Amino acid sequence: MAACVRRLNNVLCSVRLLRYQHHQNERFLSTSLPRLALGSDDTDQPSKFTPPPKPVIIDKTQTAASLRKFLSPEFIPIRQRINPLKAAIERKDMYRRRKVLNIPEFYVGSILAVTMTDQYASGKSNRFVGICLQRGGKGLGATFILRNIIENQGVEICYEMYSPLIQKIEVLKLEKRLDENLMYLRDALPEYSTVDPDMKPVSSSPTGDVPINMMKVRMRPKPWSKRWERPIFNIKGIRFELCLTPEQMEHAQKWAEPWREYDMLKEYDTSRLEENILKEVKQEMSK
Amino acid sequence: MRLTLQMLISHGRVARKMGLGPESRINMLRNMLTGLVRHERIETTQGRADEVRFYAEKLIDYAKKGDTDEKAMKMASFWLTEKDLVPKLFKVLAPRFETQKKGYTRMARIPNRENLDRAKMSVLEYRGNPFPPLYPVRKNIELSLINQLLKGYKEERAQKTTVKI
Repeated sequence: MAACVRRLNNVLCSVRLLRYQHHQNERFLSTSLPRLALGSDDTDQPSKFTPPPKPVIIDKTQTAASLRKFLSPEFIPIRQRINPLKAAIERKDMYRRRKVLNIPEFYVGSILAVTMTDQYASGKSNRFVGICLQRGGKGLGATFILRNIIENQGVEICYEMYSPLIQKIEVLKLEKRLDENLMYLRDALPEYSTVDPDMKPVSSSPTGDVPINMMKVRMRPKPWSKRWERPIFNIKGIRFELCLTPEQMEHAQKWAEPWREYDMLKEYDTSRLEENILKEVKQEMSK
Repeated sequence: MRLTLQMLISHGRVARKMGLGPESRINMLRNMLTGLVRHERIETTQGRADEVRFYAEKLIDYAKKGDTDEKAMKMASFWLTEKDLVPKLFKVLAPRFETQKKGYTRMARIPNRENLDRAKMSVLEYRGNPFPPLYPVRKNIELSLINQLLKGYKEERAQKTTVKI
C-alpha cells in the first residue's frame, strides 16, 4: 500500500486510491471491533451491531475521457510579456514537485487541510484546516489562502503550493462557490468562515461536475474592507438586500462600465493555450 | 490619492488615453469604426488610426463567425452606431476577407494637418476598397525605348557569360 501511495502518477488516480485505502482500513476495523468489545462488556447490554460499510465500487469501465478535466490555474500564463522559456522551465520544476507531493484538484470555496513542517512545534509539523479564499500567483509562486476562525479569532494563512515545507494537502470537501474570490468572507458573519478542524473528508466522485454551493452570505454592518457592492467585483454570493438599500445599490451601479464586455482589447482567449498545457501536464504526470 | 509607481509608469499598457476618459475613448473609437465601415477609407490623426486599426481587424474576425452567432451580432450592434451598416459588415466585408487570416487594413501617413497643431495624419482603409490605391502602382511599360535597350543589354551579358563557361 505504501508503495503505490508513494508513486502517485495521476492526480485523479490518487484520489481513487486514497478512498479505497480509507475504506479498506474501515472494513478491517469494523469486523474486529465487536469481537474486542464482546470480551470487555459482557455484563452491560450487548454492543450494538455496527453493519460493515458499503463496499466502494470503483467502476473501472469508466474511461479516462469521462473523468473531469481540470487544469490548475497556476499553469496558465498571464497575458503580459512572459518569456515562454521561463514559463517552460518553471513548469518542468512544477512537474518535479508534483511527482513528490500530491497537489489535489480544488477550487475556491473548498475546504482544505494542510500539514506543514514547523521546527518549533512538538511533532515537527502543524495542521491547518480552512476554506480556500483565493488562488493567486502563477508558476512556482502559486499560493492559496485558507481561512478559519479558531477560538473567536479569524485566522488566514497564505500557503505556497510548491513550497518544500508543505508535507500534505488534503481536500476535505470539494466544492465551488458562486465567485472566484471569497475575500468578502472577512466582512461576513463569522459563522460562514468557521470550519471544524476535526472535519472528516467528504467523498466526491472524480467524474461529473463539481457541486456548486449556492450559498449567499450575510454580511456584518458596513464599513467593509472593500466596497463589495461595486460591479468591478461582480460578487454574486452576498445577500445585498439585507444590508443595502436599493438607492445604495443604484449608486454603486454608477461605477459599472457597460462597455467593458465589448472591449476587444481586454479579451484573453486561453482555450487553445489551456488545451496544449493540459496535454503536456497529463503527459508529464503519467511518466 | 495613491501615488504609487504603478500609476506613474505605464509598463505594459496597450490602450492609449483618448478623449475624456475610458467611456469617451470607446465612444470615439466607435464613431471612427462606424465611419470606416461606411466609407472604407478614413483620415484621422496617427494615434487614433492606430487604435482603430486593432478594433477594425477584431471586428472583421467577429463578423467572419457569421450573423447567426449571438456574440458576433452583439459586438456588431455595439460597435456600429448606424444600424444599416450591420448587414453591410456581415454580407460585404466578411466574405471579402474570407481567405485572409489577418491584415485586413492598410495605414499610410499623409501630410500634417493644416491647422495650428500640425498633427500627424494618416489614412486607414480596408483592403479591396473601390477607391484608387493609396500607393500608386508603378507599371513597367515593356515597349518603351529604355526598357527595350536594357532588355537587349541583359541578354547580351547572359550570352557572354554562357560563352565564357
